Amino acid sequence: MRFIIRNITDKIFTSLTVLSVIVLVAILAVILTPILWKGFSAVVFTGTIEFRKMQLDLFNRGDIDRLNNENTSSQSCRKKIYDTIDRFKQNIDAETLCDRIARIYRNFGKELQRKDVQGAEYQRLRSLSREIRDKLETTFSSGDKKVIDENIKDVLKYKTDIGFKDTSAMELFALAEDFAADIKNIDLAKRQEYADALKDFENILTKLLGDNPSLPVPALKMDRYGATRLDIAQKNLYKLLWLEKWQQTSPGKPMAKIITPRAELFAGTEIGPLFDYIRDNLDEMLIPKRTFYWQYLIDGSTPGHYFGGVGPEILGTLLLTLAAMVFVFPIGIISAAYLAECSSDKFVIKIIRMAINTLAGVPSIVFGLFGLAFFVLYLVPLFGGPSKPCILTAAMTLAALTLPVMIRASEEAIRSVPQSYKEASLGLGAGKLRTFICVILPAALPGILTGIILSISRVAGETAPILFTGAIAFGPTPKNAFDPTCTLSYGSYDIAVGDRLASLVPHNQYGMVATLITLVFCLNIAAIIMRAKISRKLKGH
Amino acid sequence: MKKNLFTMVLVLTAVWVCNLSAAEKTLQIEGSTTVGPIADAFTEAFSQAYPDVKITVTKNGSGNGAAALVDSRCDIAMMSRFMKLDEFTAAVDKGIMPVAHAIAMDGICIIVHPSNPVTELSLAQLHDIFTGAVKNWKELGGPDMPIVAISRDTSSGTYESFDHFVMRKDKMDASIEYVSSNPQLHSRVKTTAGAIGYVGVGFLDAEVKGLKVNNVMPSKQTIANGTYPMSRPLFLFTNGYPVLGTMSHKFCVFYLSEKGQEIIEAKGFVPVTKY
Repeated sequence: MRFIIRNITDKIFTSLTVLSVIVLVAILAVILTPILWKGFSAVVFTGTIEFRKMQLDLFNRGDIDRLNNENTSSQSCRKKIYDTIDRFKQNIDAETLCDRIARIYRNFGKELQRKDVQGAEYQRLRSLSREIRDKLETTFSSGDKKVIDENIKDVLKYKTDIGFKDTSAMELFALAEDFAADIKNIDLAKRQEYADALKDFENILTKLLGDNPSLPVPALKMDRYGATRLDIAQKNLYKLLWLEKWQQTSPGKPMAKIITPRAELFAGTEIGPLFDYIRDNLDEMLIPKRTFYWQYLIDGSTPGHYFGGVGPEILGTLLLTLAAMVFVFPIGIISAAYLAECSSDKFVIKIIRMAINTLAGVPSIVFGLFGLAFFVLYLVPLFGGPSKPCILTAAMTLAALTLPVMIRASEEAIRSVPQSYKEASLGLGAGKLRTFICVILPAALPGILTGIILSISRVAGETAPILFTGAIAFGPTPKNAFDPTCTLSYGSYDIAVGDRLASLVPHNQYGMVATLITLVFCLNIAAIIMRAKISRKLKGH
Repeated sequence: MKKNLFTMVLVLTAVWVCNLSAAEKTLQIEGSTTVGPIADAFTEAFSQAYPDVKITVTKNGSGNGAAALVDSRCDIAMMSRFMKLDEFTAAVDKGIMPVAHAIAMDGICIIVHPSNPVTELSLAQLHDIFTGAVKNWKELGGPDMPIVAISRDTSSGTYESFDHFVMRKDKMDASIEYVSSNPQLHSRVKTTAGAIGYVGVGFLDAEVKGLKVNNVMPSKQTIANGTYPMSRPLFLFTNGYPVLGTMSHKFCVFYLSEKGQEIIEAKGFVPVTKY
């Protein structure tokens, strides 16, 4: 009976352990898989022609001839859209029309002077053209169809006037005729409405296709290109085709969301058919291609991580981690050696150990503030350095943060070296120092490396300690240890809180976090392989 | 062989650490998360015009920007509010003369979830919401829905401006939720039906609904001419007026150029100058 119970409890225990491992793995999978998968999409995705243009301009990368060919075909497809918009805008935007009229009028005046038209004839043509100008201005800014028709009829009466023949004044009449023809399809009362709707439409179109090539180049790189990825293009296309509105359905209740086709806003105008045109010809305009953007790992980025990659961040994280390890390794081992080997006063050791344990539990931001106050503002200036955050101070702060972990792991490792090793070495006449360096340290190295592995994971992911001591959001790659640097951890923080752009580039956000996870993983694997090699050597293989 | 490699790595590291080229021009900028995007974008423009100048931007809040300037840890401090008296005295005590450059205007916009039918609130009503006197949208002419008021953290310049315009030193209610950044506040309001919060004008978009305050809609015009009651300038602070012709001077007056103005507009703020 007892045997059976023991058997059952054993089985329950085993299954519980297996279950907990499964749960752990499942949780990890649930958290990590989407991050890694979405992060992966920062590197492998369907890139559009806008992406290739951006790569060529910013990083000088790609096949210029092929891109030019693609660009020509895509522009020819886009031209129809821009032309239609320009024409439509002409009719609804009275201001530009009036400007044009004024310009033509001025040119005509100069032309008359150039042609040396004399006295009365000059006066007559001048006043006539002024009259035409004023009439057209009232026409364009008027909302009444009757007024428009009358005015245009008046204006066109002068078209046959001999004085206007073969002069720039003919442009005035051409404009008036165009306007008269176009105005037939437009409900004039809706002019302001059209103008507002067109503004929204153009804004989204810019995000989809990039700026109209006839306009001047925008100042910021992020505004120069349309959707660089097909997924973003499709999101923008949806926004372009559908209009979200919030409408009150019943009083005292929250408003409800209503989605209508945007084309309805432009029903009956020439913009209307454009929506179908854009939807059907998106592929011709953007030329999507499968893209493997491995340079994501070496490229710098534009502000807000809008374009580009995480090159400086990876470099900065590696530098910081390695520099911190350079500080941690010797200090940690020496302290551990003192605790394990040298000290004889039990009371002092107890106090030191308590201090180390407390230090291990101190929040990381406290280390950050300590680093700012001690390393940045006191220690570095003491040696004549600039009182500015830099890699050196950040690495020292991180070292202070991770020192307790290192000391404890090393102490355990040193203690677990068999006493007989030490005795044999001392018995052969070696001194204490020699024994420690040549016998104990090599034997304890695998355990010490475990401490390093733990430290690396901690150091690479910490944000708070480096916030004030050496991390920057945006800047060039560091040239020496007295430069501040971008890092993956601070970059992930910055991308989330810094700019309103983050929501527009979720792939870059995920990409940075996924890179951080992968980097820590790789560093750990490297350290583990090193540890395995050393222990194999110790065993005499 | 292995030892040689190790020595080589050591030597290389030493060379890298000591690679001090003193002639290099650097510019360190630190402070407000609100002004940060403008500084980032200016940096982008500068890196094209002056490729040999190194500009670094750290965004850790207006208060830290002021502290960094006082400690001379940075060349330019970004601040979304003016320096406080104690910051100013601390600076002057250390022999640092803070000079303010107002580079852009920002409006603090009240945002609610787009399903909210309320279109307008007065400063007094806002005061009531954030002190907890009004707890339901019903009392403000909206639907029967509890108000979820969200504020920025107390160390942010945006909070201090809001405090100045609306709270007037009165304490916020204990039920107010605090978030630590503009994007966070924006996404919180976007996803919560009864939410209300305040952000810089750059965060006003189609996903949230901006409210009229005292019957004025926040827009470029109303903010620039001061009719919108919660407009504020954004500052760069330097130690004394920067020596003419230095990078710091060029950076601080860049907002006056046409390109600088275009960048400020592209970043969603209101330029001081008008071309």
